[in-house]
Amino acid sequence: MDRFELRRLDYSLSDDHVDLQTAYKQFFKTHCSIETVRAAEPSGFDKNLWERLCAMGATTMALPESRGGDGATLVDLTLVAEEIGRSLAPVPWIDHVCAARLLARLGALGADTAGVANGEQLAAFDARIDSAPGVRLIPSGSIADHIIVRDGSKDGAVVRLTFGTRPAKVDNIGRLPMAWVDPAAADTRAVVGSGADALAHYQRALDEWRLLTAAALVGLVEETMTIAAEFAKTRYTLGVPISTLQAISHPLANMAITVQGGRNLARRAAWFLDNEPDERPELASSAFVFMAEEAAKAATMAVHIQGGLGVSAEAAATAYLVRARGWPLAGGDPGASAMRVAEIVAARESALRGARV
Amino acid sequence: MDFSRVELSEEDKTFYDEARTFLKTHVTEEVRRRDRETGDNFDEGLHLAFGAAGYLAAEWKPHSEGGFTRVRRRIWELEKRRAHVPWVTWGTTAMVARSVVKFGSAELQHEVMSGVFAGQLRLCLGYTEPEGGSDVATCKTRAVRDGDVWIINGSKMFTTGAHNCQYVFLITNTAPDAPKHKSLTMFLVPLNSPGIEIQGIRTVDGDRTNIVYYSDVRVDDKYRLGEVNAGWTVMREPLNTEHGAVAAAPDGMQDNSIMMHQAGSMVEAVDRASARVTQPDPSGRRLLDDQSVAYRLGRSVARMEAALSAPNIFGRVAIAQTMRDISPDLMDILGAASALSLGTDGAADDGTAEYVYRFAPLVGIYGGTLEVFRNMIGQYMLGLGKPNYSPPLEKTS
Repeated sequence: MDRFELRRLDYSLSDDHVDLQTAYKQFFKTHCSIETVRAAEPSGFDKNLWERLCAMGATTMALPESRGGDGATLVDLTLVAEEIGRSLAPVPWIDHVCAARLLARLGALGADTAGVANGEQLAAFDARIDSAPGVRLIPSGSIADHIIVRDGSKDGAVVRLTFGTRPAKVDNIGRLPMAWVDPAAADTRAVVGSGADALAHYQRALDEWRLLTAAALVGLVEETMTIAAEFAKTRYTLGVPISTLQAISHPLANMAITVQGGRNLARRAAWFLDNEPDERPELASSAFVFMAEEAAKAATMAVHIQGGLGVSAEAAATAYLVRARGWPLAGGDPGASAMRVAEIVAARESALRGARV
Repeated sequence: MDFSRVELSEEDKTFYDEARTFLKTHVTEEVRRRDRETGDNFDEGLHLAFGAAGYLAAEWKPHSEGGFTRVRRRIWELEKRRAHVPWVTWGTTAMVARSVVKFGSAELQHEVMSGVFAGQLRLCLGYTEPEGGSDVATCKTRAVRDGDVWIINGSKMFTTGAHNCQYVFLITNTAPDAPKHKSLTMFLVPLNSPGIEIQGIRTVDGDRTNIVYYSDVRVDDKYRLGEVNAGWTVMREPLNTEHGAVAAAPDGMQDNSIMMHQAGSMVEAVDRASARVTQPDPSGRRLLDDQSVAYRLGRSVARMEAALSAPNIFGRVAIAQTMRDISPDLMDILGAASALSLGTDGAADDGTAEYVYRFAPLVGIYGGTLEVFRNMIGQYMLGLGKPNYSPPLEKTS
């Protein structure tokens, strides 16, 4: 691509963006303490929090106005996702809005799915890129009313499944309402799209899931970094706060750099998907690949900085540690996203340079 | 938030075309070859051409004083990068000229500024000392007053471009017993003064820098910038710019962090590798078909894009660190032929990745090491307090 093209490089948030960000930050601060997070661990889901969140319009905002939504941009959605990560909110908002938007794009929001828009019915989907046929883990499979998967057939059908009895939750490191789902065992199975177009819509949902998960990991890393930094300022060794030792301060500085780079990358990726979706399709996966790797490293270091107190199961740091790994992993091997990035960029660059090399 | 293409007015389109034509005409293959051979990162003929065409003045001056508009400034900056214009000596000149205008006497400004705009006068930075490292305030080069002149003794490392410059912006120590930030005085020392010896040093990226020795160099007081012992104030401004501690403009018409120029080599390496991996070998096999290649390439792209996104001081660390982190992977992907440098027969990507590998250590050192900036992020952004060091060693000799 032309890296010297004259484009604006403006990452600033508008007043509306800041208002949205502030509203959700405040919402989770009020309604999602670390105790709330812990209390939801057995099921992986806080229904009460979800209902409050939906009442705020967090699900309807994500749908286009033509589908009864509020037409939020993906940039808007990254702002909400970042607050979900910051608070570790036990709600399947990312899965739900990506699945709901997919259904909307497929024209499959009908009478059967009337509750999806406002979150009364939960939608889930298989977030893996390299999804294999058969039984699979679905990140919010144990609580979803609708589960969307590709059936792996040659005509590329995308199907919506429902189960009379929801699949059982399996305990997992991300503390997600995850379940093994067997598409063949579904009670209903509706084809909601097929062919190349449907698969392209599905790919877009996978990209959006990666984008919003990256944004959530930014918030997650920033919060666990902040907790570790505050600890380090008040923990003394040999008469000085450990925060003044470079073995502590430099890893914290690296986390701050991760947050700043990952955040801006996620927002830039979102802006391109909103405004020029064919221009930089590699950026959403890039943000995800970067944050999936860095979140685990940062969350581990944040635990380490707090030493014996950090490793305690009661410490906030460990709540961040497990989700830093479990949330991105719910979409399968992040390496598959790295390969997608490579395919996109290689195709672009070889097309541009092909004649010359 | 806005990353859209900028719509140009007819006048700006004309400017854009003229700038591209000018660069195509003057930045010849010969200029680039000479630049590689000398490592100068400067070309006098080209620089004088820029001066004669008014580009230097237009770039340096604000729009209100006849300089470029924001959009033209950005066009010029990007097109210079596209053309691989040698950049280091104009960079230091432009930076130091700000201090000359702010702190120099009318007489000194008169002596220097028109020559700067014409391209005949160039200015370099005399900050770092052989024993000083990144801390510019630990200055041992002494200036002692003798009536209306100062006598300077000492030495400076990394005075890049000195052999192509007429003045050096020199930090001297004028009060060795005072606290370090109250002991410095700045001068704009003419480099043709007797007692100055410039010795070239080649660095691993292929560039040339200098060590400059000052032996009883006599400098008129008119070359002093700012008050005696107030050198820290004078130096700070260009240093802030060099550190990248400047806020991004809301119009999106500038880099979001410093070092974006240096990052260009990494971007080029990534883009070249991306094209290269799709070329089939004689058996029809593409490197990209190897999933370990695809994975490493994709991961490199992701890390690069994150580094390019990080703002200001975060960005400069991210860029330098990422150049170090991904260049080995890019080379590995391309195999043994990535060991061949620019211009060598069969070089995999014309030596781009191996250049990034050799260049990355410098990017994490000059203008302050990565550690200096991690300290600054820790102290000023995260409020972690001033770094704690062990007490200084007692001098035994």
